[in-house]
Amino acid sequence: MAGDGARAAGLGGVVSTTRAARPYYVPVANEERIFKAAFRQGLSVLLKGPTGCGKTRFLEAMAYDLERPLLTVACHDDLTTADLVGRFLLRGGETEWVDGPLTRAVREGAICYLDEVVEARQDTTVVLHPLADHRRQLPIERLGLTLDAAPGFCLVVSYNPGYQSVLKDLKDSTRQRMVAIELGFPPADVEEKIVAHEAGVDHGNAAKLVRLGQAIRRLETTGLREVASTRVLIAAGRLVAEGLSPREAARAAVAGPLTDDSTVTSGLVEMIDVYLAD
Amino acid sequence: MNPSCREAEKSGSPERLSLLASAISSRALQVAAGGPGEKAWTNGRVVFVDASIDRREQIDAVAVQASLLAAGSLDTDVVRRLTRRSALARRYLAVEGHRALAAIADLLPPSVRTLIDSNVAARADSPAASLAAALSRESVADPPDSFGTIRARHLLTSINRADSSATTRQDAPREQRNHVLAELAEDEDDGTAADLFSSPVGGRGALGRLLGKLLEVVRQLNGGGPPGADAPTHRTRAGTRTGRNPVLSTGMAGIVEEAAIERRGTRYPEWDVHRRRYRQDWCTVQEVEPRPKDGTPLFVSDAYGLRRPLARLGVGLDRFRRRVQGDDIDIDAVVEARVEVMAGSAPDEAVYIESLRRRRDLSVLLLLDSSGSAAEPGATGQTVHEQQCAAAAALTVALHELGDRVALYAYCSRGRSAVQLMPVKRFDDGLDTAVMRRLHGLVPVAYSRLGAAIRHGAAVLEDRGGTSRRLLVVLSDGLAYDHGYEPAYGAADARRALAEARRRGTACLCLSIGAHTDAETLRLVFGSAAHATIPTIEQLSHVIGPLFRAALRSADIPRPLKGRR
Repeated sequence: MAGDGARAAGLGGVVSTTRAARPYYVPVANEERIFKAAFRQGLSVLLKGPTGCGKTRFLEAMAYDLERPLLTVACHDDLTTADLVGRFLLRGGETEWVDGPLTRAVREGAICYLDEVVEARQDTTVVLHPLADHRRQLPIERLGLTLDAAPGFCLVVSYNPGYQSVLKDLKDSTRQRMVAIELGFPPADVEEKIVAHEAGVDHGNAAKLVRLGQAIRRLETTGLREVASTRVLIAAGRLVAEGLSPREAARAAVAGPLTDDSTVTSGLVEMIDVYLAD
Repeated sequence: MNPSCREAEKSGSPERLSLLASAISSRALQVAAGGPGEKAWTNGRVVFVDASIDRREQIDAVAVQASLLAAGSLDTDVVRRLTRRSALARRYLAVEGHRALAAIADLLPPSVRTLIDSNVAARADSPAASLAAALSRESVADPPDSFGTIRARHLLTSINRADSSATTRQDAPREQRNHVLAELAEDEDDGTAADLFSSPVGGRGALGRLLGKLLEVVRQLNGGGPPGADAPTHRTRAGTRTGRNPVLSTGMAGIVEEAAIERRGTRYPEWDVHRRRYRQDWCTVQEVEPRPKDGTPLFVSDAYGLRRPLARLGVGLDRFRRRVQGDDIDIDAVVEARVEVMAGSAPDEAVYIESLRRRRDLSVLLLLDSSGSAAEPGATGQTVHEQQCAAAAALTVALHELGDRVALYAYCSRGRSAVQLMPVKRFDDGLDTAVMRRLHGLVPVAYSRLGAAIRHGAAVLEDRGGTSRRLLVVLSDGLAYDHGYEPAYGAADARRALAEARRRGTACLCLSIGAHTDAETLRLVFGSAAHATIPTIEQLSHVIGPLFRAALRSADIPRPLKGRR
């Protein structure tokens, strides 16, 4: 039973309760107001947006503002209902019920964040239905009880509509229980601020990186599957902060991760050279 | 940095700037080398830039042309008024170029932004206003060299073509060749003042360019295959061929020579329908590397909506609970087992989760007909070959992205001893631009000994596919013809070859896209294998799912992996 300890730890999801400083998030439009309104009304929230545009960071900032703990579950295609709700484990020869992250959030009134929820199997997401609508209840079959969500509980799921999971789409019945907030990449001036703050580079370098990122994003229609996200630009910025030249940093952090295709890579390298010319 | 990008850096070819151009113009835009001494220009899909000028100037020129496209400066209504008025076009460019650059200044690389003259840019706020300024009597300074030039007629023909066949994707160099005459005509009214002093015959004069271009074309023509390769390859029972012109194929002689040198090849039998027996070791199949063609567009992910129907083919389970062995513990099963132990009964030992990633256990080999008959125009004006290539590309990309093992081979033949299979993408090749270049480099030539191609394709699939479910997809117009391989004989052999493959558990699917072959001929050739005639590639997505499923079902008997002869 060596796996038990690891399982039990894994069962909890990731809880962030640090109250050091507000996680850095710059609002772009009315997303903060929508989220807080939905939270107060006990509505569930669906975050849509491309990878690396700041969905998780947004939620961290919201959890900080609303003073709720945040439980994050990264969904994968093998996530079962038991992984979310909880299961019986053995402890000292006795079976013991251990709450899953969702149950814990329901009991404690935390924000439960299911990252990339489309990755989870559809039969798993059905457990969210009674929680996501007006009932705000979590039935736990195995315990034979139905939990009412504590005040402050909020269910948030995220998904990336452009992501290449074709078989997987969020069920309409799930979607319609949510309030959708669409996040995109921030406008250039905001993104410059973000890159400068997160990476600790000066404004000039941040502006250059952002301009490069924005140019690469315009390639989305032409065959590039994934474009340079804010996260990628921050990574490049952090390399610059370590003393690498912007070109080196961008090649390593932007061109490399985006594609394996040598022609596309050389095209990107060319763009990097042009945009980040000294 | 990987070696390939270091290499690309060294070579100063303007193609490298394609991504930059696409990014600035926010559309798929290629960059190709234009004539030496020529000012940069674009036809809306390709920017032509002199490869001999230095890199910095190339970047400026490409950025200006891409900005013009991005800012709507080259929209039809404006461009139409510039045709045959080169002086006006120059004045328009002088104003509009600055406006276009200024309009998207935020997106431009720092070096390019220095080109903007904000005084000039302020004179107009739209293409129409720039045109008005160009038409007025105000003095307009000549545009700097880096602005290149506007070739109105090219833009219009290109736009018209794009309108008439919005889904047609052709590559730049081929189009360039088609345009030779139009280009010559326009060069004349462009009044290339800079060339006044160069010799009219050699070098850069109009006549010299004319000669150069004529010679270039001739050189391409005389590279044909063996005598007779250009002759029509078959009689057809279908009466609806639109193209009555003789079939012209421009294959390269080099392939034959290579084939002659490399005599090693795989031998395959052939079914002789007249004597009702096999001719052993009758055909020799060689694998010949196809010639890549530069400047082809990036592959487009899911171009024809094939991914969704193909994705639904996934069958089987991936994780198995309550197994006796496995890589993870099935907690629920363990708990039950422990409970049973506590209760004093014998527990079930199957407490593991086994991961069997058999979800998409499929390898697909696409066999593309690259014989001369495919060069005939199909129903939509595109040749059968172009449509087949587009379909092959779309299928390859879709299957690859779904995680299947895919290979793409093209075939043609010149008699039984020279059946050639050209690996465009082998099973272990990644899907990248090199694959697309090889695919676009295919030239339909010679004949098709379909049976031998199918036998080799099936053998490769069984050898290297590596999965228990295998599918051979033949993209062909259904016309089997070669020396000593007349249609009836060929059809019987092809039918036989498909049956052999299916007996060994390889599913077969034959697709005829855009060809005019009638259903009866197809049935003769493909027999009881799943086959379909699809008028245009756009319709492929509707039928591909059921076709794949039907084909796989017909061969879905568990077979050993290497069940070869």
